[in-house]
Amino acid sequence: MSGIIAGYLPLFDLYLIHVGLAFSQYIVLRAGVFSLATAAFAGIGAYTAGIFAVNLGLHPAIGLLAGTLTGMGAAIFLSIPLARLRGVYQAIATVAFIQICLSLNVYSESLTGGAMGLNNIPKTVGTGTLFVFAALATYMIWAIERGRLGRAFNAIRQDEAVAASLGISITRHQMLAFAISGALAGLFGGLEAYHAYALDPNQFGFHLLITILSYVILGGRNTVLGPLVGCAILIILPELARPLAENRMVIYGVMLIVVINYVPKGIVDTALDAIRARRLKMREETVS
Amino acid sequence: MSTLKLTNLSKRFGGVVASEDVNIEVPAGKVIGLIGPNGAGKTTIVNMITGLLPVTSGTIHVGNADITHAPAHEICRAGLARTFQNIRLLGEATVLENVMIGFHRHETSSTFAALLGLPEAGRETATLKERAFSLLGEFDLQAFADYPASGLSYGHQRKVEMARAMASEPDFVLLDEPIAGMNDVESNALAEIFMGLASSGKGVLLIEHNVRFVAKLCSYIYVLDGGKLISEGTSDHVLNDPEVISAYLGDAHHA
Ligand SMILES: Nc1ncnc2c1ncn2[C@@H]1O[C@H](COP(=O)(O)OP(=O)(O)OP(=O)(O)O)[C@@H](O)[C@H]1O
Ligand SMILES: [Mg+2]
Repeated sequence: MSGIIAGYLPLFDLYLIHVGLAFSQYIVLRAGVFSLATAAFAGIGAYTAGIFAVNLGLHPAIGLLAGTLTGMGAAIFLSIPLARLRGVYQAIATVAFIQICLSLNVYSESLTGGAMGLNNIPKTVGTGTLFVFAALATYMIWAIERGRLGRAFNAIRQDEAVAASLGISITRHQMLAFAISGALAGLFGGLEAYHAYALDPNQFGFHLLITILSYVILGGRNTVLGPLVGCAILIILPELARPLAENRMVIYGVMLIVVINYVPKGIVDTALDAIRARRLKMREETVS
Repeated sequence: MSTLKLTNLSKRFGGVVASEDVNIEVPAGKVIGLIGPNGAGKTTIVNMITGLLPVTSGTIHVGNADITHAPAHEICRAGLARTFQNIRLLGEATVLENVMIGFHRHETSSTFAALLGLPEAGRETATLKERAFSLLGEFDLQAFADYPASGLSYGHQRKVEMARAMASEPDFVLLDEPIAGMNDVESNALAEIFMGLASSGKGVLLIEHNVRFVAKLCSYIYVLDGGKLISEGTSDHVLNDPEVISAYLGDAHHA
């Protein structure tokens, strides 16, 4: 029994890290920014944390804090030019940003290890730590959703002109969503660094972008449950049949096409909509 | 008591002159009418006032504050609220949520509290829910509170939009064809609400095609045609003005 659990532990660890990254993607989409930069912010956080541990020999807590702050800083920096763009142009600009980060990473060989990656990072983060941070991130997203910020993000996403005419500052809120996104990505990038012994520059490229985006699109973009469920399904599914696991990206691709066509709001949002509609209907019937 | 004042307000879209040297005053406590045929430039004026369209020339003041070039969200904070001619509700949100977002201007919980879900933020959400629900009552919409806003009838959606505008507790309200598509019973109920707004000290700018409705409510009426004011005054004066009659008949001839 414990053997089976131990066998699945790496998968659970992966889930906990990717949930954090999924929330980073989720929060910008929620605020109406079509940014795909989470992979880059995660890379920045991971390398900062890694370098703090390997080159400077600092305590992991300091490394994680540094990873979070650099991720957040990069996001705030990027939010300034991005505020002038909308929709697909934001997406393109952020994909370009990922490429720039990747190239800079490979060029700065003396600092980052270049194409060889950053190795010999002491493993200081285990399942327990990951669980605590994933739980905290989930709580924060839940809190945001229920309060003032969630309402403002929702309004901006659905209609910027209406949001502005109700007194909501679009620039300020989108920059805030970006800062949260960058901080989450930087933090969970840092956790990845301390969990995995080594970092590879390509780990934070297009592949990761698609993976994270898939979690949010499959799960849903409007409740905290969306990324939790989307991430669980996409991580477990390929494991059910081993040959599938070899072709993870193919499954993600097919899944995305099917979901976008048939449940465009994602599984959780669609289910919640159905439940709500049913509740209203039952109420009508009891009234009449 | 402050006044919303447009001075020589002009707007050009490339070659199209949508508004030219328009002077309008909306004093607090009054319902002011703005009428004119299709394409006269009425919506353009509301869009300039609320910061959704940049002003080409002229100025807009609320009391002594110049809001001509202020961004839209600051104009709301200066005490202006509006409704849209082509109803713009948040389609994914419920009726109640649509009204709750209207309170944004008066939210006081800190960003920090909102991020950490402190009790202060939760209390604010609960309070806003109650206030939004009671505001819905004034528009006879409480039964629809939990329904998706996009599923409501046209007339109800207009009322939700009005409730949302009221939630910001504005000093001035700009209503762009608020009774379009409503029956007499509904529009009479709204007329009461508009009069109530004025008697509570708010300035109301009412844009309408229904001239009878405007004549009944407004103490002063401006008439716009081709971007220019062609007449202004009391309803008796304006409706008997030959220029106004020809503008409307001319419009009917073209149509
Ligand atoms: N964004 C825009 N770009 C170019 N022209 C515009 C734009 N918005 C409005 N116009 C033009 O400005 C003029 C005034 O339009 P506006 O919508 O203000 O009229 P209106 O009085 O509100 O008409 P209606 O009664 O039909 O609502 C029209 O000729 C319109 O074509
Ligand atoms: Mg109009």
